[in-house]
Amino acid sequence: MTCDVKVKDRVGTINPIFTCQPAGAQFASIGIKDCIGIVHGGQGCVMFVRLLISQHLKESFEIASSSVHEDGAVFGACGRVEEGIDVLLARYPDIRVIPIITTCSTEVIGDDVDGVVTKLEEGLLKEKYAGREVHLLAIHTPSFVGSMVTGYDVAVRDFVRKFAKKGEPSDKINLITGWVNPGDVKELKHLLAEMDIEATVLFEIESFDSPMMPDGSAVSHGNTTIEDLVDTANAKATIALNRYEGGKAAEYLEKTFDIPTIIGPTPIGIRNTDSFLHTLKAITGQPIPQSLVRERGVALDALTDLTHMFLADKKVAIYGNPDLVIGLAEFCLDLEMKPVLLLLGDDNAAYVDDPRIKALRDNVDYGMEIITNADFWELENRIKNEGLELDLILGHSKGRFISIDYDIPMVRVGFPTYDRAGMYRHPVVGYGGAIWLVEQMANALFADMEHKKNKEWILNVW
Amino acid sequence: MTRKIAIYGKGGIGKSTTTQNTAAALAYYHNKHVFIHGCDPKADSTRLILGGKPQESVMDTLRIHGAEKVTLDKVVKTGYHDIRCVESGGPEPGVGCAGRGIITAINLMEENGAYTEDLDFIFFDVLGDVVCGGFAMPIRDGKAQEVYIVASGEMMAIYAANNICKGLVKYAKQSGVRLGGIICNSRNVDREKEFLEEFTAAIGTQMIHFVPRDNIVQRAEFNKKSVTEFDPDANQAQEYKTLGLKIVENDNFVIPKPLSMDELESMVVKYGMAS
Repeated sequence: MTCDVKVKDRVGTINPIFTCQPAGAQFASIGIKDCIGIVHGGQGCVMFVRLLISQHLKESFEIASSSVHEDGAVFGACGRVEEGIDVLLARYPDIRVIPIITTCSTEVIGDDVDGVVTKLEEGLLKEKYAGREVHLLAIHTPSFVGSMVTGYDVAVRDFVRKFAKKGEPSDKINLITGWVNPGDVKELKHLLAEMDIEATVLFEIESFDSPMMPDGSAVSHGNTTIEDLVDTANAKATIALNRYEGGKAAEYLEKTFDIPTIIGPTPIGIRNTDSFLHTLKAITGQPIPQSLVRERGVALDALTDLTHMFLADKKVAIYGNPDLVIGLAEFCLDLEMKPVLLLLGDDNAAYVDDPRIKALRDNVDYGMEIITNADFWELENRIKNEGLELDLILGHSKGRFISIDYDIPMVRVGFPTYDRAGMYRHPVVGYGGAIWLVEQMANALFADMEHKKNKEWILNVW
Repeated sequence: MTRKIAIYGKGGIGKSTTTQNTAAALAYYHNKHVFIHGCDPKADSTRLILGGKPQESVMDTLRIHGAEKVTLDKVVKTGYHDIRCVESGGPEPGVGCAGRGIITAINLMEENGAYTEDLDFIFFDVLGDVVCGGFAMPIRDGKAQEVYIVASGEMMAIYAANNICKGLVKYAKQSGVRLGGIICNSRNVDREKEFLEEFTAAIGTQMIHFVPRDNIVQRAEFNKKSVTEFDPDANQAQEYKTLGLKIVENDNFVIPKPLSMDELESMVVKYGMAS
């Protein structure tokens, strides 16, 4: 039996797994404090993306649109960006960063947004906003290139490239988390705190799990500051957890400022979290404290309660962002499960050479398919027409109808997850994430046993 | 310091011919390292340098093999006197978006480090007028800092040159690009030189060189060669040598002041009536 990596060969896409580049850039931009991005394109490029992020986080936040119409498409629409930035600066006295995020339409008509930045820096900012600190940058994310994953990657690099500046060497490390949830950031910071390591976290999105305060003062926004971004050039090392979501920024810092860099593995599951802690230890010299050994023990205990009895040999399909999918597949394998189908929603040619995917190909002893540029029909068709039997699906909410239609239990993970409560609050990374994931999977299978009257009595005596 | 130069002008005026002949002269007579980036979907900007060798364009490579397979050894060809050539390529007439092709091709060349430090000149040979944002890509920030417009004494060529200047004015503010002059590629029309001189003075630039009409250019083209390669002793080769030198020594870079339609019309009438 083998593990095959294949590109979807069917023409067209039926129910895409990913959306396009500007979505990733927008998700990155909301991680920065005093930052409101302006998306240069039609309104839908913001409206639907903002809705998606908002549905996922159950919070509201600001992203602007240059709202290009027919006239802009014909005559060029840079003027709308200029006006839009003026309006943003006038209406939001605190904003300091405005990324201009391009889209398919404005890339095709060739709007020179880098030129707009220069023009506004020389004109509007000096004339109307003299004395105010404002940073503008162009982020090129044509929708017809890559996917939301590459859009995120490009945006993180562009923010770092814009601000990173050599100064006093610092003891901090850069931790580039990739496209994760507030709960993940919280868990990662917990691990760092236990090891007594200071880090610049890109991006500090914990605050999107925001409170409702008596005085109504709470707002949801990212907390990575410009100063944090500037200081990334002075870190003693960079760890990018996700190769495809932040790897570019890490490589930029390595190349430009000679910062030692470690990319991956995504710390999902016990062994990857172990690797992460060992990396931290190697970089900083900080020992792994007893408290984390204990946490690891608690996680292992949770896993052993479930693995052999309930999870072993369960067939799983996983779809979503590549680092997440690979990390989940590795974790599933450690849990004796059988991830049989991995769906990656874009056609990044690097996937096939990814060492983690190579390791899967070398070691998997049953049939596993990895499909790149995949859509949901790759999953549904196999279930409906090709006899694929699944015990569990792991993925985001856009695949919920397959779970419903074919009565296959599903654990919501990734982006976006909006059809279950509070998913953004829970980590999938770290030992905490391992516990949460394994118990979510087990509970989904338990509910399914009851629902299908399939040996549900076991649960009486477990 | 590499000088990045964009060549614009009305379709059919002889941009590619002038660019290649000038590039050959710069390489042969003035010992310059030259790179030509053809920005015309027809991909015919480099055949005189490459001796008619077919060159796989950047966009063809991208379409057939994917963006990550676009490498310098695949798309950059070296021709006469080590002049390096790349063709953006682009769609067939009537489909797709040629402007986007130029944006993508230049981005890919920059990502691949094609424009190396050792180059003295990079020429972007751009199709026709600056018809859309894509055709202005070569004059964006960090790209070509100087522009030469190829024109003749014909009315439509002057209209086109004036129009291109309007585009330049817009980009001059945001990217710092400047007009280095107008190259007259003579069509042997009456009082061509005076017309061009009056027009260039009116828009605030110079006629950097008057390239006379000479059939040897066509003969060289039939032989898939630049004039310099075909017959370095020919008069016309000396003309391109001079043009090359004038470009090397040029220090007249301006933001042009394009004429209004009325001004342009009356200038055209003046020279048209007199002939």
